[in-house]
Amino acid sequence: MKHRFTLLAGLTLLVVGCETPATYKDPEGRELVVSLGKVDIQDFANAGNAMLQEMVKSPAFDRADSVPVIQVGQITNDTATNFDLSLLLSKITGPLVNAGRVRLIDSDPVASAARASTQGAAVPVPQYVLRGKILEDRANAGRTKQSSFVFQLALIDVRTSLQVWQGEKIVTKQGTTNAVGF
Amino acid sequence: MNRPVLILAALLAGCTPLLETGDKLERAITPPDGVNYAVTRPEGGFRLDTQDGRFASKVELLAVRKSTTKGGFTQVQFDLRNASFLRQTANFGFEWLDAAGSVTEGQRGWTPTPLEPGQITTVTAVALRADSAECRLRILDR
Repeated sequence: MKHRFTLLAGLTLLVVGCETPATYKDPEGRELVVSLGKVDIQDFANAGNAMLQEMVKSPAFDRADSVPVIQVGQITNDTATNFDLSLLLSKITGPLVNAGRVRLIDSDPVASAARASTQGAAVPVPQYVLRGKILEDRANAGRTKQSSFVFQLALIDVRTSLQVWQGEKIVTKQGTTNAVGF
Repeated sequence: MNRPVLILAALLAGCTPLLETGDKLERAITPPDGVNYAVTRPEGGFRLDTQDGRFASKVELLAVRKSTTKGGFTQVQFDLRNASFLRQTANFGFEWLDAAGSVTEGQRGWTPTPLEPGQITTVTAVALRADSAECRLRILDR
Protein backbone atom coordinates (compact mmCIF):
# COMPACT_ATOMS: atom_id res chain seq x y z
CA MET A 1 0.00 0.00 0.00
CA LYS A 2 2.81 2.34 0.98
CA HIS A 3 4.69 1.56 -2.25
CA ARG A 4 1.57 2.18 -4.31
CA PHE A 5 1.10 5.58 -2.66
CA THR A 6 4.72 6.53 -3.30
CA LEU A 7 4.40 5.47 -6.94
CA LEU A 8 1.17 7.47 -7.35
CA ALA A 9 2.72 10.54 -5.71
CA GLY A 10 5.77 10.28 -7.95
CA LEU A 11 3.63 9.89 -11.07
CA THR A 12 1.52 12.91 -10.07
CA LEU A 13 4.64 15.01 -9.59
CA LEU A 14 5.91 13.98 -13.02
CA VAL A 15 2.63 14.81 -14.74
CA VAL A 16 2.30 18.16 -12.95
CA GLY A 17 5.91 18.96 -13.83
CA CYS A 18 5.23 18.50 -17.56
CA GLU A 19 2.13 20.66 -17.72
CA THR A 20 2.25 24.31 -18.70
CA PRO A 21 -0.65 26.30 -17.27
CA ALA A 22 -2.28 28.85 -19.58
CA THR A 23 -0.81 32.34 -19.26
CA TYR A 24 -1.28 35.65 -21.11
CA LYS A 25 1.34 36.47 -23.70
CA ASP A 26 2.19 39.64 -25.56
CA PRO A 27 0.64 39.07 -29.03
CA GLU A 28 3.63 40.88 -30.50
CA GLY A 29 6.21 39.31 -28.21
CA ARG A 30 8.69 36.49 -28.66
CA GLU A 31 6.94 33.67 -26.83
CA LEU A 32 4.25 32.83 -29.37
CA VAL A 33 3.56 29.44 -30.89
CA VAL A 34 5.27 28.93 -34.23
CA SER A 35 3.16 26.56 -36.37
CA LEU A 36 4.53 24.79 -39.37
CA GLY A 37 1.21 24.18 -41.05
CA LYS A 38 -0.56 27.53 -40.76
CA VAL A 39 -0.08 31.26 -40.80
CA ASP A 40 0.41 32.44 -37.22
CA ILE A 41 -0.72 35.76 -35.79
CA GLN A 42 2.90 37.01 -35.77
CA ASP A 43 3.27 36.08 -39.46
CA PHE A 44 0.44 38.45 -40.37
CA ALA A 45 2.09 41.19 -38.31
CA ASN A 46 5.47 40.49 -39.83
CA ALA A 47 4.21 40.46 -43.43
CA GLY A 48 1.89 43.43 -42.88
CA ASN A 49 4.62 45.57 -41.31
CA ALA A 50 7.09 44.75 -44.07
CA MET A 51 4.65 45.56 -46.86
CA LEU A 52 3.44 48.70 -45.13
CA GLN A 53 7.02 49.98 -45.00
CA GLU A 54 7.47 49.21 -48.71
CA MET A 55 4.16 50.75 -49.67
CA VAL A 56 4.74 54.12 -47.98
CA LYS A 57 7.92 54.55 -49.99
CA SER A 58 6.01 54.33 -53.27
CA PRO A 59 5.40 57.65 -55.09
CA ALA A 60 1.62 57.20 -54.70
CA PHE A 61 1.92 57.54 -50.93
CA ASP A 62 5.05 59.61 -50.47
CA ARG A 63 3.24 62.91 -50.94
CA ALA A 64 2.68 65.60 -48.40
CA ASP A 65 0.29 67.65 -50.58
CA SER A 66 -2.56 65.14 -50.97
CA VAL A 67 -4.06 62.16 -49.19
CA PRO A 68 -4.98 59.36 -51.62
CA VAL A 69 -8.36 57.63 -51.45
CA ILE A 70 -8.05 53.86 -51.58
CA GLN A 71 -10.43 50.95 -51.61
CA VAL A 72 -9.67 47.37 -50.75
CA GLY A 73 -10.27 45.14 -53.76
CA GLN A 74 -10.09 41.39 -54.05
CA ILE A 75 -7.73 39.67 -51.64
CA THR A 76 -7.53 35.91 -52.22
CA ASN A 77 -6.53 33.31 -49.68
CA ASP A 78 -4.97 30.46 -51.68
CA THR A 79 -3.63 28.59 -48.67
CA ALA A 80 -4.97 25.36 -47.21
CA THR A 81 -6.15 27.07 -44.01
CA ASN A 82 -9.07 29.38 -43.59
CA PHE A 83 -8.50 32.74 -41.90
CA ASP A 84 -9.93 36.21 -41.89
CA LEU A 85 -7.97 38.41 -44.30
CA SER A 86 -8.45 41.43 -42.07
CA LEU A 87 -5.71 39.89 -39.90
CA LEU A 88 -3.31 41.03 -42.61
CA LEU A 89 -5.12 44.07 -43.97
CA SER A 90 -5.56 45.78 -40.61
CA LYS A 91 -1.77 45.76 -40.16
CA ILE A 92 -1.47 47.83 -43.34
CA THR A 93 -4.57 49.99 -43.52
CA GLY A 94 -4.77 50.68 -39.76
CA PRO A 95 -1.48 52.58 -39.40
CA LEU A 96 -2.05 54.39 -42.73
CA VAL A 97 -5.54 55.59 -41.80
CA ASN A 98 -4.54 56.52 -38.24
CA ALA A 99 -1.55 58.51 -39.46
CA GLY A 100 -3.75 60.33 -41.99
CA ARG A 101 -1.75 58.98 -44.92
CA VAL A 102 -4.75 57.54 -46.76
CA ARG A 103 -8.51 57.87 -46.86
CA LEU A 104 -9.98 54.38 -46.89
CA ILE A 105 -13.42 53.71 -48.35
CA ASP A 106 -15.45 51.44 -46.09
CA SER A 107 -18.49 49.76 -47.61
CA ASP A 108 -20.25 49.17 -44.30
CA PRO A 109 -23.99 48.59 -45.00
CA VAL A 110 -25.16 50.71 -42.05
CA ALA A 111 -23.00 53.63 -43.16
CA SER A 112 -24.23 53.17 -46.74
CA ALA A 113 -27.87 53.24 -45.60
CA ALA A 114 -27.25 56.35 -43.52
CA ARG A 115 -25.53 58.03 -46.47
CA ALA A 116 -28.47 57.22 -48.77
CA SER A 117 -30.76 59.25 -46.52
CA THR A 118 -28.30 62.13 -46.15
CA GLN A 119 -28.77 64.85 -48.72
CA GLY A 120 -25.66 65.79 -50.64
CA ALA A 121 -23.59 62.97 -49.21
CA ALA A 122 -21.31 61.23 -51.65
CA VAL A 123 -18.58 58.64 -51.52
CA PRO A 124 -15.31 59.86 -53.03
CA VAL A 125 -14.09 57.97 -56.06
CA PRO A 126 -11.11 55.80 -55.09
CA GLN A 127 -7.82 56.68 -56.71
CA TYR A 128 -6.23 53.34 -55.93
CA VAL A 129 -7.43 49.80 -55.32
CA LEU A 130 -5.48 47.43 -53.13
CA ARG A 131 -5.61 43.83 -54.27
CA GLY A 132 -3.65 40.78 -53.23
CA LYS A 133 -3.16 37.10 -52.77
CA ILE A 134 -1.78 34.79 -50.09
CA LEU A 135 -0.18 31.57 -51.32
CA GLU A 136 1.62 28.71 -49.70
CA ASP A 137 4.32 26.25 -50.63
CA ARG A 138 5.22 23.17 -48.63
CA ALA A 139 8.25 20.91 -48.80
CA ASN A 140 9.83 18.32 -46.60
CA ALA A 141 13.06 16.37 -46.28
CA GLY A 142 12.78 13.38 -43.99
CA ARG A 143 11.14 14.55 -40.78
CA THR A 144 11.90 18.21 -41.49
CA LYS A 145 8.93 20.15 -42.79
CA GLN A 146 9.04 23.55 -44.43
CA SER A 147 6.13 25.91 -45.04
CA SER A 148 6.39 29.13 -46.98
CA PHE A 149 3.55 31.63 -47.02
CA VAL A 150 3.72 34.23 -49.77
CA PHE A 151 1.91 37.52 -49.22
CA GLN A 152 1.42 39.53 -52.40
CA LEU A 153 -0.18 42.95 -52.62
CA ALA A 154 -0.53 45.43 -55.45
CA LEU A 155 -1.84 48.96 -55.69
CA ILE A 156 -3.72 49.78 -58.88
CA ASP A 157 -4.35 53.26 -60.24
CA VAL A 158 -8.06 53.19 -61.16
CA ARG A 159 -7.67 55.79 -63.93
CA THR A 160 -5.21 53.70 -65.87
CA SER A 161 -5.50 50.19 -64.35
CA LEU A 162 -1.72 50.29 -64.04
CA GLN A 163 0.00 48.96 -60.98
CA VAL A 164 1.80 51.74 -59.15
CA TRP A 165 3.20 49.52 -56.42
CA GLN A 166 3.72 45.82 -55.90
CA GLY A 167 5.00 44.11 -52.79
CA GLU A 168 5.76 40.57 -51.75
CA LYS A 169 6.76 39.13 -48.41
CA ILE A 170 7.59 35.47 -47.90
CA VAL A 171 7.43 33.93 -44.43
CA THR A 172 9.24 30.58 -44.28
CA LYS A 173 9.17 28.25 -41.29
CA GLN A 174 11.08 25.00 -40.96
CA GLY A 175 11.25 22.30 -38.31
CA THR A 176 9.95 18.94 -37.23
CA THR A 177 7.27 20.11 -34.79
CA ASN A 178 5.49 23.29 -33.79
CA ALA A 179 7.38 25.27 -31.16
CA VAL A 180 7.03 28.17 -28.78
CA GLY A 181 8.98 31.35 -29.39
CA PHE A 182 11.92 32.17 -31.58
CA MET B 1 36.72 22.67 -19.07
CA ASN B 2 34.99 21.27 -15.99
CA ARG B 3 32.65 18.30 -15.95
CA PRO B 4 29.25 20.12 -15.71
CA VAL B 5 30.06 22.22 -18.77
CA LEU B 6 31.07 19.11 -20.71
CA ILE B 7 27.86 17.32 -19.69
CA LEU B 8 25.84 20.39 -20.66
CA ALA B 9 27.63 20.52 -24.02
CA ALA B 10 26.87 16.85 -24.62
CA LEU B 11 23.21 17.37 -23.73
CA LEU B 12 22.87 20.43 -25.93
CA ALA B 13 24.68 18.83 -28.85
CA GLY B 14 21.76 16.48 -29.48
CA CYS B 15 20.94 16.48 -33.17
CA THR B 16 22.51 19.83 -34.05
CA PRO B 17 25.71 20.33 -36.04
CA LEU B 18 28.90 20.59 -34.00
CA LEU B 19 29.47 24.27 -34.84
CA GLU B 20 26.13 25.30 -33.40
CA THR B 21 26.76 23.42 -30.17
CA GLY B 22 29.30 25.97 -29.01
CA ASP B 23 26.81 28.74 -29.70
CA LYS B 24 24.09 26.92 -27.74
CA LEU B 25 26.48 26.32 -24.87
CA GLU B 26 27.45 29.97 -24.76
CA ARG B 27 23.76 30.94 -24.69
CA ALA B 28 23.10 28.47 -21.89
CA ILE B 29 25.82 29.77 -19.60
CA THR B 30 25.37 33.51 -20.25
CA PRO B 31 22.50 35.70 -18.93
CA PRO B 32 19.18 35.67 -20.83
CA ASP B 33 19.00 37.71 -24.01
CA GLY B 34 18.29 41.38 -23.52
CA VAL B 35 17.08 43.93 -26.04
CA ASN B 36 19.67 46.20 -27.59
CA TYR B 37 18.67 49.63 -28.89
CA ALA B 38 20.08 52.07 -31.43
CA VAL B 39 18.51 55.52 -31.29
CA THR B 40 19.08 58.29 -33.82
CA ARG B 41 20.00 61.73 -32.51
CA PRO B 42 18.63 65.10 -33.67
CA GLU B 43 22.17 66.40 -34.13
CA GLY B 44 23.09 63.37 -36.26
CA GLY B 45 24.62 60.00 -35.49
CA PHE B 46 23.14 57.51 -33.08
CA ARG B 47 23.28 56.25 -29.51
CA LEU B 48 23.64 52.59 -28.56
CA ASP B 49 21.94 51.15 -25.53
CA THR B 50 23.33 47.64 -25.06
CA GLN B 51 21.76 45.12 -22.68
CA ASP B 52 23.09 42.02 -24.43
CA GLY B 53 26.80 42.53 -24.99
CA ARG B 54 27.24 38.96 -26.24
CA PHE B 55 24.86 39.55 -29.16
CA ALA B 56 26.06 43.13 -29.76
CA SER B 57 29.56 41.78 -30.35
CA LYS B 58 28.20 39.32 -32.90
CA VAL B 59 25.78 41.55 -34.78
CA GLU B 60 27.42 44.93 -35.15
CA LEU B 61 25.74 48.18 -36.07
CA LEU B 62 27.89 49.64 -38.84
CA ALA B 63 26.09 52.83 -39.79
CA VAL B 64 22.86 54.77 -39.42
CA ARG B 65 21.60 57.13 -42.12
CA LYS B 66 18.74 59.52 -41.59
CA SER B 67 17.11 61.29 -44.51
CA THR B 68 13.80 62.76 -45.59
CA THR B 69 11.61 61.27 -48.31
CA LYS B 70 10.24 63.40 -51.18
CA GLY B 71 7.01 63.72 -49.24
CA GLY B 72 8.83 65.09 -46.20
CA PHE B 73 8.72 62.00 -43.98
CA THR B 74 11.75 60.83 -42.01
CA GLN B 75 13.49 57.70 -43.22
CA VAL B 76 16.23 55.88 -41.34
CA GLN B 77 18.46 53.04 -42.49
CA PHE B 78 20.46 50.89 -40.09
CA ASP B 79 23.32 48.79 -41.53
CA LEU B 80 24.13 45.70 -39.46
CA ARG B 81 26.70 42.98 -40.01
CA ASN B 82 27.03 39.50 -38.60
CA ALA B 83 30.63 39.65 -37.37
CA SER B 84 30.58 36.13 -35.94
CA PHE B 85 31.56 32.81 -37.51
CA LEU B 86 28.07 31.35 -37.16
CA ARG B 87 24.70 32.11 -38.66
CA GLN B 88 22.76 34.47 -36.39
CA THR B 89 19.10 35.38 -36.38
CA ALA B 90 18.47 38.95 -35.35
CA ASN B 91 14.96 40.14 -34.59
CA PHE B 92 14.19 43.75 -35.35
CA GLY B 93 11.48 46.20 -34.41
CA PHE B 94 11.35 49.96 -34.16
CA GLU B 95 9.54 52.91 -32.69
CA TRP B 96 9.37 56.51 -33.86
CA LEU B 97 9.76 59.43 -31.47
CA ASP B 98 8.74 63.05 -31.93
CA ALA B 99 10.98 66.03 -31.13
CA ALA B 100 9.95 65.88 -27.46
CA GLY B 101 10.88 62.19 -27.22
CA SER B 102 7.32 60.82 -27.09
CA VAL B 103 6.59 57.64 -29.02
CA THR B 104 4.43 58.47 -32.02
CA GLU B 105 4.24 55.18 -33.90
CA GLY B 106 6.13 51.98 -34.44
CA GLN B 107 6.36 48.38 -35.39
CA ARG B 108 5.81 46.55 -32.11
CA GLY B 109 6.39 42.99 -33.25
CA TRP B 110 9.68 41.35 -34.16
CA THR B 111 10.91 40.76 -37.69
CA PRO B 112 13.22 37.73 -37.72
CA THR B 113 16.21 38.18 -40.02
CA PRO B 114 18.69 35.33 -40.50
CA LEU B 115 22.21 36.58 -41.13
CA GLU B 116 24.97 34.44 -42.59
CA PRO B 117 28.52 35.00 -41.24
CA GLY B 118 29.78 38.32 -42.56
CA GLN B 119 26.43 39.26 -44.10
CA ILE B 120 25.34 42.89 -44.00
CA THR B 121 21.67 43.71 -43.82
CA THR B 122 19.94 47.07 -43.96
CA VAL B 123 16.86 47.74 -41.88
CA THR B 124 14.83 50.60 -43.34
CA ALA B 125 12.16 52.41 -41.38
CA VAL B 126 9.95 55.08 -42.93
CA ALA B 127 7.82 57.28 -40.69
CA LEU B 128 4.11 57.48 -41.42
CA ARG B 129 3.59 60.69 -39.47
CA ALA B 130 5.20 64.03 -40.19
CA ASP B 131 6.03 64.60 -36.49
CA SER B 132 8.06 61.38 -36.22
CA ALA B 133 11.61 62.68 -36.02
CA GLU B 134 13.85 60.06 -34.43
CA CYS B 135 13.89 56.29 -34.75
CA ARG B 136 14.65 53.73 -32.04
CA LEU B 137 15.67 50.33 -33.44
CA ARG B 138 15.21 47.27 -31.21
CA ILE B 139 17.49 44.29 -31.76
CA LEU B 140 17.03 40.93 -30.07
CA ASP B 141 18.80 37.61 -30.45
CA ARG B 142 16.67 34.88 -32.12
